[in-house]
Amino acid sequence: MIEVKNLSKRYGENVALNHVSFSVGENTVVGFLGPNGAGKSTTMNIITGYLSASSGTVTVCGYNTLDYPNEAKKKIGYMPEIPPLYPDMTVREYLNFMYDLKKVTLPREKHLREICALVQISDVAGRLIANLSKGYRQRVGLAEALIGNPPVLILDEPTVGLDPKQIIEVRNLIKSLGKNHTVILSSHILPEVQAVADRIMIVNRGELVADGTPYELEHGQSGEQKLVVRMEGPADEVEHMLTTIRGVTGVRNFGQKEPGVFEYEVDGHGSADLRRPLFGIAAKRNWPILSMASSELSLEDVFLRLTGSTYLSDNAQIEKSRKGGGRK
Amino acid sequence: MMAIAKKELKGYFLSPIGYVFLGVLFLMFGLYYYVVLLSQVSSLIPQVYSMLFIWIELILLPLITMRSFSEEIRNKTDQGLLTAPVGVFSIVFGKFLAAFFMFAIAMTATLIPAVVITFFSSPDWATIFGTYLGTLLCGAAFLSIGIFISSLTQSQIVAAISTFGVTLLLLLVGQLSSSVSNTALANFFTWISFDTRYQKFTKGILDIPSIVFFLSVVAVFTFLTARKLESKRWS
Repeated sequence: MIEVKNLSKRYGENVALNHVSFSVGENTVVGFLGPNGAGKSTTMNIITGYLSASSGTVTVCGYNTLDYPNEAKKKIGYMPEIPPLYPDMTVREYLNFMYDLKKVTLPREKHLREICALVQISDVAGRLIANLSKGYRQRVGLAEALIGNPPVLILDEPTVGLDPKQIIEVRNLIKSLGKNHTVILSSHILPEVQAVADRIMIVNRGELVADGTPYELEHGQSGEQKLVVRMEGPADEVEHMLTTIRGVTGVRNFGQKEPGVFEYEVDGHGSADLRRPLFGIAAKRNWPILSMASSELSLEDVFLRLTGSTYLSDNAQIEKSRKGGGRK
Repeated sequence: MMAIAKKELKGYFLSPIGYVFLGVLFLMFGLYYYVVLLSQVSSLIPQVYSMLFIWIELILLPLITMRSFSEEIRNKTDQGLLTAPVGVFSIVFGKFLAAFFMFAIAMTATLIPAVVITFFSSPDWATIFGTYLGTLLCGAAFLSIGIFISSLTQSQIVAAISTFGVTLLLLLVGQLSSSVSNTALANFFTWISFDTRYQKFTKGILDIPSIVFFLSVVAVFTFLTARKLESKRWS
């Protein structure tokens, strides 16, 4: 359905996308996840033909977007981050205009009525777009993307500005659309993507850093495990002793939770079971363990790890170069 | 293309622009005829007409074209147009057609005095026809320039004032030709002067080079506007 190969986009010196490749099959909902400025919107804008790539190709339903732009665009319904609405038109006028612009051949009245019912804007069809609330505008934008019933839907942050009830409605709508459409939606809200997407792609700094089902990402990532322990004892000493356990990669002190009791997070390699040696140390020193739980990596952790680690390593590099400069 | 032309034309009348434009224009026509004809400042009708049309073009055309792309860029609605399955040329030409149609509507009002005059005397229809054709052609050229300028900026005011400046320059540039000593430059000024070319039509002459000139200006600036829109993708 959508084939993206080696997509790069540079804005002068700034690299917005760096050799991104992926392909999306029929009837799937793909969640595009990443912090602000990661390249989500840029990717979407390139797929829809609003921007051109510096290098690489995009094929939509067999049409290369550079060689057959109009055929490819016909297959795509796009809802940009800011829906392209004309404030001085009524909703009905706007949808009719878009219907004409997209050269749709479906029966006009019936098709538009169905779309309005689907996104629940039938009751505001006669109102000026300028007078609509943000939530309604967002839904008119969604309606615009649905005109012509394109097989591919690209939605850039579709639930921004909606109230919680509307968010659930739109999510359900996207889920049901996903049964017979290919949907790519971007978001920086994890639970949202988790709720609707069959597949998640995480982009960071213009690179695709993860790609898989929510389950795969949660489990595949964890070559590591994590324990959260509450222990009574002198914090410094406990922390030090915990780091001596074989297989432990890091210990974090979460602070005092009860008088004399501290909570620690212990990270370790996946293979080693940390619970037994931990108990051993605690028993030897007579530090009572008040609670111990292993926490699996949540999607949120995966996300933070993938998008944050590059940030950290960059900082480390800066640090290094600074030190190097000092030595000179 | 027609979808965009239709939407644009509707747009002129959904916002106050269309009504204000036509209202002010008709008021100016009325006032102008009253002052010029009844106070008998000039009785040379062709001159009266051509002066009037030049002023319409100068003052009002920038107001028609100022919003055409500036507003789309500011509201980010250009994203909707550029991701729709239509070519950029259709978008630009659709906008041009709507602006031209608006201008043509305004011009029909000036036919009223011409019709009235036929009851009392026999005007030279060749001159009137020539003047209309010249005005429409010259106006079309200015409109395409105005649309191009509006694609360069988000601000309607910047677009309007720049278009006004360019229009004024192109109308007056012919007068520079008598004051420069370099013949090549003088010839160039005469060649590019919209006014010089336009004046031929007011004498009832169908000057083919001028017709080609005005149509070429439309073609060139439509092309440039389309390129400008395309260039957004590569920035």
